[in-house]
This record gives sequence, structure tokens and C-alpha cells, in this order.
Amino acid sequence: MKKILIASLFLAILLNACQDDDGPTGPTGNNGIDLTGIPCGPTDHELVIPPGLPSMLIPEDNKLTDQGIELGRFLFYDPILSADSTVSCASCHDMKFNFSDDKALAVGINGQLGPRSSMPLINIGFFNTGLFWDGRSPHLEDQALHPVENPLEMGETWDNVVVKLQNHSTYRKMFREAFCISNSQEITKELAAKALAQFQRTLISANSRFDQKRFQGNTNPFLWSDEEVDGYLIYFDDATGSEVLGHCAHCHDGQALLSSERFENNGIQEVATLNDFPDKGLGAITGKLADNGKFKAPSLRNIELSAPYMHDGRFNTLEEVIEHYNSGGHYADNLLLASIQPLHLTANDKANLIAFLKTFTDTSYYSNPAFQNPFK
Amino acid sequence: MRKFLLFLLLGIFVASCDDDDLGPITTVNLNFKATYDGDPLVFTIENYTYPDGKLIKFTRLNFFVSNIALLEETGGEAEVADIEYVNFTDNTTLAEAETPITISNDKVPTGTYKGIRIGIGVPSSMNNASAKDRPAGHPLRDNYNNEYWSDWDSFIFLKSEGTYDANGSGIDGNGDNGFGHHPGTNEVYRTLIFNDPIVLEEGKAFDFNFELDVQKLYVKDGIPLDLTVEENLDTQSPSDLALAKYIMDNFVNAFVLVK
Repeated sequence: MKKILIASLFLAILLNACQDDDGPTGPTGNNGIDLTGIPCGPTDHELVIPPGLPSMLIPEDNKLTDQGIELGRFLFYDPILSADSTVSCASCHDMKFNFSDDKALAVGINGQLGPRSSMPLINIGFFNTGLFWDGRSPHLEDQALHPVENPLEMGETWDNVVVKLQNHSTYRKMFREAFCISNSQEITKELAAKALAQFQRTLISANSRFDQKRFQGNTNPFLWSDEEVDGYLIYFDDATGSEVLGHCAHCHDGQALLSSERFENNGIQEVATLNDFPDKGLGAITGKLADNGKFKAPSLRNIELSAPYMHDGRFNTLEEVIEHYNSGGHYADNLLLASIQPLHLTANDKANLIAFLKTFTDTSYYSNPAFQNPFK
Repeated sequence: MRKFLLFLLLGIFVASCDDDDLGPITTVNLNFKATYDGDPLVFTIENYTYPDGKLIKFTRLNFFVSNIALLEETGGEAEVADIEYVNFTDNTTLAEAETPITISNDKVPTGTYKGIRIGIGVPSSMNNASAKDRPAGHPLRDNYNNEYWSDWDSFIFLKSEGTYDANGSGIDGNGDNGFGHHPGTNEVYRTLIFNDPIVLEEGKAFDFNFELDVQKLYVKDGIPLDLTVEENLDTQSPSDLALAKYIMDNFVNAFVLVK
């Protein structure tokens, strides 16, 4: 009996060692797995930049390839990156919500709430200043590293994630195809981040009615309603004569990007002094008093789909947002008073402005299979 | 053997025609400081006194400089920089305000020059949306999203933003006027020439120290711009061109070369 038990145990160990490793089933051993039998030769991916959007600054050491983008898409939608396999990037960055979500605050593993709202990722590849609401990350290759180890987001360690990826036959193959690695042990967090960055750089939206009129030469006189045209004039402070100024574009221009990439205090938080912001935003990163309470001006593309609004999701509707800006917000020494001041918009002005904001809506990419969840 | 020598000579000749062969060169540093009535300008944190006695605070100041060249007596010139972006906004401590922003060119031909030319703004040849397609690191590309005003199809040449104590109660959020002066479009491009003989010697860096006294951007003929008037608080509408020109014209007095 004892011999049978020992033999069974031995067999179990042997079988386990020989299985296809499809999933996080165990270590690959000290020497890893040789991948040179898998063909590799990443295919350059030519990114088509639509009119109105700037050139994308792509690092020399992370050129886009079809295989890298596809690997990034898999990683983006795979909860393998989280400690309990419940949270993927897409959990907070859902395509149908402008690659953001419909919650005020980001929800991580075990239902934990983060301190801020999930940022939209559409057109994120065109942002060149600090990423995240507080600008703490210089580029997508760095940004992609953060959520995994944030205890309120994925709550995992990169060491664990890398082991899981090294033990996963599909990912071994995909990393090999994307980066021509020779051995599974060459899978690293840096390569995973590169793939995620590649995928995110493809998330481009530029086919809203705003784009069609401004950048695609659509001359259909009925493309925008009269209300939307009025809203446009308010947005760009162009309402000559009426002096109706919305001051919106100072932070949300950048042509089709609809963001200046500036960090500003937009007056949503009432504080006695610059030291009193409950969330210091950029100031927590730079350590500068003048930066306390400043957050990134996000793109307004698909703003209709991005509620709730602001870095802390405090406003549920666009009406609430416009009401805030119309009020002038709360004063602080670093308030952007040139733009954040009582606007004196009438009910009609506000309605027209919101009508115009909805011309930024572009759902055409919903049907793009390259953006969709590969596991469904 | 003759062919070999011929190729060798040809090679030497081609190498000698390399673009980098400018003759003796040296480094020119362009140092920029922002001041207010002579004091280092600390943004956001410090208040200053406007010529009318009321308080003023600046929260942003950035501008493009361009077509910067040393001028030769013979009419020729040596380029120092085609375009650069100067941003003082992050000077929120005295130490930062006292430290100049420096732009350097280490390949300026040595020699004697009669002065230096500097443009304020973006030259018309560069002032269009094609700037977005320039490579990373180019000042126009790097600042395209924050400085290109699509409605004008122009870069904003200068941004000066802040808060003015309109009712005299202090800058406290009550009765203050926010201002945002953003001159742009080709009509407000300005060129300044500083006639001051310069001798550049090989291996000896030369520093040009420029100071922009921001108070002087708002004063003409001894009279300050009235910041209690709403029409003087921004330059966004097409009807604001006169104000944009007023501010850019004042660069002549506000922007000086300090010995």
C-alpha cells in the first residue's frame, strides 16, 4: 500500500510537470522554457492618425507591431494581472464608457474603492505630459506598471504576475511573437508594460460630428444644429458681440484631442489654504504648494459617455458640471481665475453648450474588433 | 594604386565638406528671467503691486522665442535657435524665480557680431497645424496640445494669466478679476534687435541674459492697462486683437538684455 501511494504521488508530480501550463499552474523551473521553436518576426504596425490629431510620440524602443498590440490587448482584458484574478484593466476602462467606467471612484480587488475616478483612455497615446490625474507617470510604458501593484486596484506584485505569464503557454507564445524572446524567463514586467502601451496607443477615436465638421471637411449644413453652433461659440469664447464666454477651450482644445494637457485647480474643492486640499493631486507629486489641488484637464472626447465627472467623480451629469463652471467655483490662490469665474450663462446658453459637448461623441470604434475583449 | 589614392583624396574631400565643419565654434547661452518691477517674479504664491496701487498675482507666463540670430556687420547672421519655448510658470519659489531658464547652442561660429535678434512668437512659416507632425522634442510639437489655438489656426505666442485685485480688498476671491492674455496669430509676431557688439571666442561660452519685466507688458506711456475693465481681461475673441497687439508691442520696453 505504501508503495502504491508513493508511486501515485510520483505519477502526480510527473503529470503536473508535463502539463501544458495553460494558466498559472506552477513554476517553469530555473532554466525556463525554450521558445526558439516558435516563429517570431513582429510585423510593423502603421498607425493611421486621423485629421485633427497630432502625431503620436512613440518611443524608439517600443515601436508598434501587430503582435505587440495583440499581446497588449490580451493583457488589458485579462484579470491575470490582479491578485485574485477578478480585476483587469478593462474592469475600470470599459470600451463602452470611453474606456473609463460609470462609477465615481475606481473599484479594485475585493470591491475596494480607490481615491479617484478612472480616467478615459481613448486617445491616451496623444498625451505627452504626465499621465494619471496627478501626472505622476511620464509615459504609457511607466503608467502600465502602476495599477498592478496598487493595493486598491489589482493588489498584485509584478513578480507574481511575471511568474503567471511565464507559466502560461499562450502568453509564452505571444511574448515570443511580439518581442522575439528566446526563453520564457525573458518575460518581464517591462515587456508586459510595453505591450499594454502599444495596445493603448491604438485606442483612437476621431469620428464624432465635431471631427466631421472641423477636420473631415463635411460641409453638410445640418450636421450641427443651431444650438450646437451656439454652444461651439461659447466653448471657444468666440461669441463676439454677446460676450458669452465659456472659457472651456483654454483647457480643452488641442484640436481633436480636446485637452490642453494642463494641470489646473478648477475650483471644485473649497479650501481655506493651499495646504488644505484633501487630495493634493499634482502637488503630491511635485511637492510644490502651488500645485496642490491641481489635476489634469482630461480630453472631453466622448464626454457624454464618461459620467461621473471630475477626478473624484463628484458630478453625475453634464448639467452639474456646467453649473459648477457657471458658478465660478471656489477660490484658492492657485485657482485658474482667468477661466474659472462666474460665466453668467443663461439656461439657454447652458443647454447649447451641452448640446455642443455632445458633438464630441464617437461610438464608431465600438465595432472595432481590435479594441474588443479577446476572451469573449 | 592611383585609383586608391584618388578615392582616398575624394574621401578626405567629402569628409571635409561635412555639415558640421563650421570652423571655430563656441557655446552661446540664452538665459531668461521673469521679473516684476525689477524683482524676481514668483508665480501663484506671491502678490505684487500693480501701478495703480492694487494687488496683482501671476499664475502663468510662457512664450515662444524664435529666429534668434547673431547679426554680422556685413549683413550675414549666425543662427542661435529657430524656435524655443520659455515657460516661467513653475517658478513658485524665490529660488526658482532667481534661476534663469537657459537655452544653449554649442555650435555657434566664433567672430564679431554687432548684436542679436530675437523674435517673440511663432514665425508665420511655422505657425500652422502642420506643427503637430513635427518630431518629438520640437518645441512646437511638444507644446502643440497646450499652445495651439485651433479656432485661430495659430499658436498662442504668449500666455500671461493671473488675478487682479479689482475692488481693492486684496486678492481673496472676492471682487478679483482673473485675466488671461493669450496673443496669437501672425499679426502680433514681434522682432526685437539688441545692437550690442559681441565677440565670440572659440571654447569660451558666451551668455546673453534677458529679463522680461512683466509689469511693463501692461504699461504704455506711463499708463497701466485698466484691469478693472472686462474687455481688458482676455484676448480670445477676434475683437480683442488690439489688446493682443498692445501687450506684444510692450515687449520692446519689457524685454531687455542685461549686461
